[in-house]
Amino acid sequence: MSEANTIAQPAPAKSKLWKPPIVGLVTFVLMFLAVGLGHTMMVMIEHYLGRQTTLAVSPLLGFSGIVMLWYGVKSKNETFQTWIGFFGGIVVWMCWVEFFYMWYGRMNWGMLPRMDGLTGEGPLEISGTYPEYMIMGATVGLLLMMLCFYTFDKDTRCNMFLWFQDKLGLREGLGESTKTAKDRNYAIITFMETFFVTWFCYQWNLLTFDPGLMGKGNLFLAVNLGSVFIAVVWAGFCFTRLIQFKRTATALRYAIPVGNIAWVNVEILEKLDLMSHEVFLDPWSHTLEASVLFGALVTLVVLLLLAPKKPSELGRRAAPATK
Amino acid sequence: MKNGSCCMNLLNRNYRRHALPALALLLAAGGASAEKLVMPKGMGGVPDIGAIPCEVYSEMVRIAPLGSRHSLITWSAGYLQAVTGKPLQEVVNAADRTGPPWTYDRLGDELTAFCTANPKAMTRDAVLSVARALEAKQGAAK
Repeated sequence: MSEANTIAQPAPAKSKLWKPPIVGLVTFVLMFLAVGLGHTMMVMIEHYLGRQTTLAVSPLLGFSGIVMLWYGVKSKNETFQTWIGFFGGIVVWMCWVEFFYMWYGRMNWGMLPRMDGLTGEGPLEISGTYPEYMIMGATVGLLLMMLCFYTFDKDTRCNMFLWFQDKLGLREGLGESTKTAKDRNYAIITFMETFFVTWFCYQWNLLTFDPGLMGKGNLFLAVNLGSVFIAVVWAGFCFTRLIQFKRTATALRYAIPVGNIAWVNVEILEKLDLMSHEVFLDPWSHTLEASVLFGALVTLVVLLLLAPKKPSELGRRAAPATK
Repeated sequence: MKNGSCCMNLLNRNYRRHALPALALLLAAGGASAEKLVMPKGMGGVPDIGAIPCEVYSEMVRIAPLGSRHSLITWSAGYLQAVTGKPLQEVVNAADRTGPPWTYDRLGDELTAFCTANPKAMTRDAVLSVARALEAKQGAAK
């Protein structure tokens, strides 16, 4: 994806296709698929580079996400900023969090994965909670502290934090935002959004799956079924808003949390043995299915890149009216 | 005879007095099921790394090589201490006199290699195999 290509889109015209609910639908499916295929990308990198090499080069790979971000921040094109922020966020999360934690947990600290079947209720096997996820679960306090920043930041535009600010009676104390839309750089906003949404959803799953907190009995089942209910309602509510979006860049940013929250259900249903997302974790055993899903993701990305854009999405703003 | 009869009676009386509670205790002990070893729920790993199938151990090594190998080396150290009365360091020092040195890495490699080659065996079999190799080395050194 290049900035030049994105800018070189035809002038926006009234499109019969790219209007609600198509924009929202496409971005939602794209983000939902992106979460699954993000898993695939990780296992493929590890498979083809080898674990040792992957963990050794992950700091450098992660830095490529920062280079992407630097390139995106310099751009004036909102669509480009959004895409680059998203991909940069994914790369940095994958390399500087997941692969780092993997090295610490598996190769440095000598942690062991959690096991299923220890009480004889099934075959003895490794659960999905690998050492890196056990470390990640411990970062919940750090996450909550960071989320406080957004809760008390008067310039945040995230609807969830605005809702918190409203309910906590913070609006008056915080005052009016000093930033307008054109003051915002959507590369860093999307980058941070991708990072925090991914972190938040991981924590959600990791805490509700933690047998040290929830046990493995009725509480575990109740909490996780409750999580499914919340995730369906939350993602569903956001989805009803998403399908009203007209601008692809805005829809893309909004679809990041919607897709991730919807994905929380996939992880829970897999944990409860009600479904499997093995196709994303073992693409070699499901080559056709994984290829189709990857092809669908690429198609959606291309469609969104080709979709007509409003001038504001391309960094072209209407000149101020003059007398 | 009289004294003996007396003692026998006393024994019988004592026996009868204690027999019933003893029987009750035996029945209670026999009826109670053994407690399953359960680890703290949040922990990783298994309660007894020496008593799992090699194929599970190999998978654990694939996911978390350092911790899995270390756990079984620690289990081996306990086993060797019980058998030889020596700590692991002394056992490998003795074995070092012949052949390649038994380093920490080599211990892990030998245990892992055994399990890879014998997926249906138990991890304790891997430890036994390594213990035999160490014993043979020590025997050769004497």
